[in-house]
Amino acid sequence: MIPLINTEGIREKLVIKAVRNIRKNFKTKEEEGASMYREGISLDLSRSRLLTQSYKETEGKPMVLRRAWGLEKILEGMDLYIQDWEVVVGSNVSSPEGLFFGIDMNWRSVKRVCDSKAGRSLLDDEGRKELAKMSEYWNGRSISDIQREKFSGDVLDYWKMSKGAPVTWSHWSHLGIPDYEKLFKLGVKGFIKKACDRLVELDKTVPLDYIDQKEFLQAVIITLKAVITFANRYSDLAKKKAEETIDPTDKKRLEHIAKVCAKVPEHPPKTFIEALQSFYFIHLARSLEFSSLGIGLRFDKIFGPYFDKDVKEGRITRKEAMITLQLLWVKIHDLGLIYSPTLSSIYGGVASLQAVTLGGVDENANDVTNEMSYMVLETAKLMQTPEPTIALRYHDYTPRELLSAATDVIKTGVGYPSLFNDKSMIPLMKNWDVPQEHATDYAISGCVYLELPGKNISNRAVGGIILPGALLYGLSQGINPMNGEQIGAKTPDPKTFKSVDDVMDAYLTQVDFFFNKLCTIDNISKSLYEKYIPRPFYSAFLEGCIEKGKDTSSWGYPSAISDICIVIGPTNVSDSITAIKKNVFDDKKITMEELLTAMAHNWVGYEDIQQMMINAPKYGNDDDYADFIAAQTQERTAKAMMNSTNRFGYPCRGDGSGISGTYAAGSIMPATPEGRKAGEPFADATLSPVFGMDTKGPTAVLKSASKINTTKTHNHLMNQKFLPSALEGNMKEVFIDYIRSWGDLNINQIQFNVVDSKTLKKAQENPEEHKDLLVRVAGYSAYFVDLSKGLQDSIITRTAQGF
Amino acid sequence: MNKNIKGIKEERGVVFNIQRFSTHDGPGIRTTVFLKGCPLTCLWCSNPESQKEKPQLMVRDIKCSGCGACLSSCPEQAISFSKKRKRIINWEKCNNCFSCVDACLYKALTAVGVYKSVEEIVEVVEKDRIFYENSKGGVTFSGGEVLTQHNFLEKLLIRFKEEGIHRTVDTTGLASLKVVKKIIPLTDLVMIDIKHLNSKKHKEGTGVGNELILSNLEYIAKNITTWIRLPLIPGFNDDQDHILKIAQLATRLNVEKISLLPYHEGGRAKAAQIGETFEQEEMETQSDEHLKRLTDILSKRDIKITVSS
Repeated sequence: MIPLINTEGIREKLVIKAVRNIRKNFKTKEEEGASMYREGISLDLSRSRLLTQSYKETEGKPMVLRRAWGLEKILEGMDLYIQDWEVVVGSNVSSPEGLFFGIDMNWRSVKRVCDSKAGRSLLDDEGRKELAKMSEYWNGRSISDIQREKFSGDVLDYWKMSKGAPVTWSHWSHLGIPDYEKLFKLGVKGFIKKACDRLVELDKTVPLDYIDQKEFLQAVIITLKAVITFANRYSDLAKKKAEETIDPTDKKRLEHIAKVCAKVPEHPPKTFIEALQSFYFIHLARSLEFSSLGIGLRFDKIFGPYFDKDVKEGRITRKEAMITLQLLWVKIHDLGLIYSPTLSSIYGGVASLQAVTLGGVDENANDVTNEMSYMVLETAKLMQTPEPTIALRYHDYTPRELLSAATDVIKTGVGYPSLFNDKSMIPLMKNWDVPQEHATDYAISGCVYLELPGKNISNRAVGGIILPGALLYGLSQGINPMNGEQIGAKTPDPKTFKSVDDVMDAYLTQVDFFFNKLCTIDNISKSLYEKYIPRPFYSAFLEGCIEKGKDTSSWGYPSAISDICIVIGPTNVSDSITAIKKNVFDDKKITMEELLTAMAHNWVGYEDIQQMMINAPKYGNDDDYADFIAAQTQERTAKAMMNSTNRFGYPCRGDGSGISGTYAAGSIMPATPEGRKAGEPFADATLSPVFGMDTKGPTAVLKSASKINTTKTHNHLMNQKFLPSALEGNMKEVFIDYIRSWGDLNINQIQFNVVDSKTLKKAQENPEEHKDLLVRVAGYSAYFVDLSKGLQDSIITRTAQGF
Repeated sequence: MNKNIKGIKEERGVVFNIQRFSTHDGPGIRTTVFLKGCPLTCLWCSNPESQKEKPQLMVRDIKCSGCGACLSSCPEQAISFSKKRKRIINWEKCNNCFSCVDACLYKALTAVGVYKSVEEIVEVVEKDRIFYENSKGGVTFSGGEVLTQHNFLEKLLIRFKEEGIHRTVDTTGLASLKVVKKIIPLTDLVMIDIKHLNSKKHKEGTGVGNELILSNLEYIAKNITTWIRLPLIPGFNDDQDHILKIAQLATRLNVEKISLLPYHEGGRAKAAQIGETFEQEEMETQSDEHLKRLTDILSKRDIKITVSS
């Protein structure tokens, strides 16, 4: 039993770490000089310090063991804290104001941030000195240094768009979902036993890779023991604090913590709180081992039964459990990390894409909704934090009450829960050879990252492909117009194109060409990850790793589900191809040459041609002319991308996790044939119409989207903006009916931005008064005032779908 | 030139808008088909472009690029440009030939009102069937005054009966009883606008007395599920006394629901866009407190109420 805490003040415990995400387009001079982070926020150096020390001590030893010892040192040595309200404890940094930082991944840009005006407040002079000293050691040793050294020739050329290619590779962090269900069944001790048994077996069989397997399993055991130590240290700290306190309620709270942390994650949890605590330790140790994002666990399916049993046996009340959840939300929200300026602009501030999944079916096709589903939604409504976000799995038997509770959260404008449609997600995975019993357990770990809990997937965005850029290369024979270099595939002269099929073919050739470059870069980088950053701790919780004696990075789950690339602007491409078909080939109003000239001039002096292209049919209006081409474009793009494979021979694929990349990508791209001017953003999601081009209302948008077959493409993202009045009063039931219709249309995803443009404009003018205003930016929620002016403007203009 | 604008064919009606995802024109998610033409001349009319039955020119200055393509297209020379490149229409000269609409790439010159066949309308309404099924919605025919084109409306209602789509007719109630009797059996729900219960006041505001409307209301309410819609005009019909009388009438006629439509100035800009002047002086919409007072009167009487904004 936990002592009750006054819930009134829980939201005040939230530590908001970022002030502003994007360091471009500042409104005033003063803002330019200001810090990017809120006052008091600091860069936490404790992990870096301990890891550096460990690396120095273990030079020359096998890498997998060095990584294990590194994590061991961190878990055994990190400063711990327990705040005076915590029920579930633990952190990946040594103070609540700390920002996590993976020095072993990339230290350069972080050091640059801390030396700049925007990040100066993150460290004091002494800290800056220490960081500089540590950076000296990592120079040449961090994964980004190793990449720099190992990339050569063609790969180096295409790395990070340096040549103007419409693809960008990045070492975006991994996601992935450990097998929490098995953890709760066996406890960490069960996994240790499994690894030990495998070691004994190994000595009998002596396979060819005996040494590799042995070292891996030893590393697994080191890290698993270390996480038990980590938990026991919290237990000791709580015990000590309990002895010091004179407040009897607080003593009880701390004693409870001490008891729980002595038990989990080593042993299987028995109570709801033990289960939460067990999950949280694994979650933290995973990110301390390797900078990683996301959560993804099916919260209600996993924790619901523990809660129900506790209630039945009188161990907890609903109210107590609700407080525990709210306090956990504060903890999860605290997991901010520092990014390079570029990634900051894509992810938004310090978000670590923490998402949990609710609802959906289980392996027997039964709905999993339970009391916990409602409690999580209630918590979200009370807390309204940007993280964790919620993915709600929808199917025909999702209870109307659950949709109603979800609508109440959506109505607050936090941008979640986003909805995922089992009716199209499960068949999609089937198409990728995922067995039915795995597919039914899918979860969304962050943004729209699709994963299978406990399977060796650890999704990571390979990078991004700007599809309108590929189209432009298809219209320029693969030549970069800026410098005349042949950087794309050599496709035919567009002036010789006889039909729109020639346009499509040239575009697809470029997609194939550039995506192949991207995948090559990634395959090389992944082989570097395998060699230089194995992850024995995380691997332990993935089915097959201990059994094979192999690290997560040394083998792959046999499906296209495992590797994704962010796809930007598919609807801009299809609108472009539609406009070319209509004006150049069908109506013959202009020639290809005239169009290309107009685009080269960014339409200036050619406004009539631009208007003609704008007036062509557009995706998002339930118009078959445009929608047919949209479906063709998306299906054939997906197919072209799946020509490229990962290191293990499974296809790479696109994914809708566009994030605010659609804005950033647009800002650097020249004019495109659908009438867009240079620098304007691309459509904000893979199923969203191009900005302002949908004029027939939200049902028409859904109808258009439904024509793009999810099973023939990939996991999409779709944004719709509604005014709050659309979800209030009588309209709430209509909104739920609208969601049901979305489900029946087999669209795989949807998320809603609920806020009126007046509020947004006000917030833009008086950011001080709207610090808490949350909006959905593509795949995640962010504080509106933290966004750049440009991104704010694009959200305001996104067509408001009025009821 | 769009053949649907030119050339009247008997089986076609004049439609000035088809609005998908209407959620205030009857139950559920609906598509509202607006038919052009109205015998009333309400001072506050929020859709002045709906009054004349024939298609007419409508301008949107905000979209005008000043390119001048319309100048040469006009056979009547009704278009000119000011020194500041502002396009000016001589509405007296305009004969609604729509040559300029074809010439304008920017959609700054448009035709309001299009001749459409029953099947063309079915094709659009059909598109959102899945939404009607999930929300118990359907199609709503509105105006203008929808009964002005009663022969066309009759065909539409029969056709949508075949389609199995719920049909609502939104009317001012101003039509002969014969027409009303023909239409009512073909509908599933009627929404009827009441502007004022006093005939003299009614005439001041709308140009006609209310006797026919009220007697039609009696007939309609007896024969079909009926909702009353009340456009709230500040100082004209939104006092508590008048609302109380409406409530009494609604109770007596067993009306299912009353919808209050708070005043908005939407008609003013549109009047200018079709070359007309908006007679009504500027007024503010009802305050939330006032709306609360009015809904309180109705809710005491156990009638369903909605306030549409």
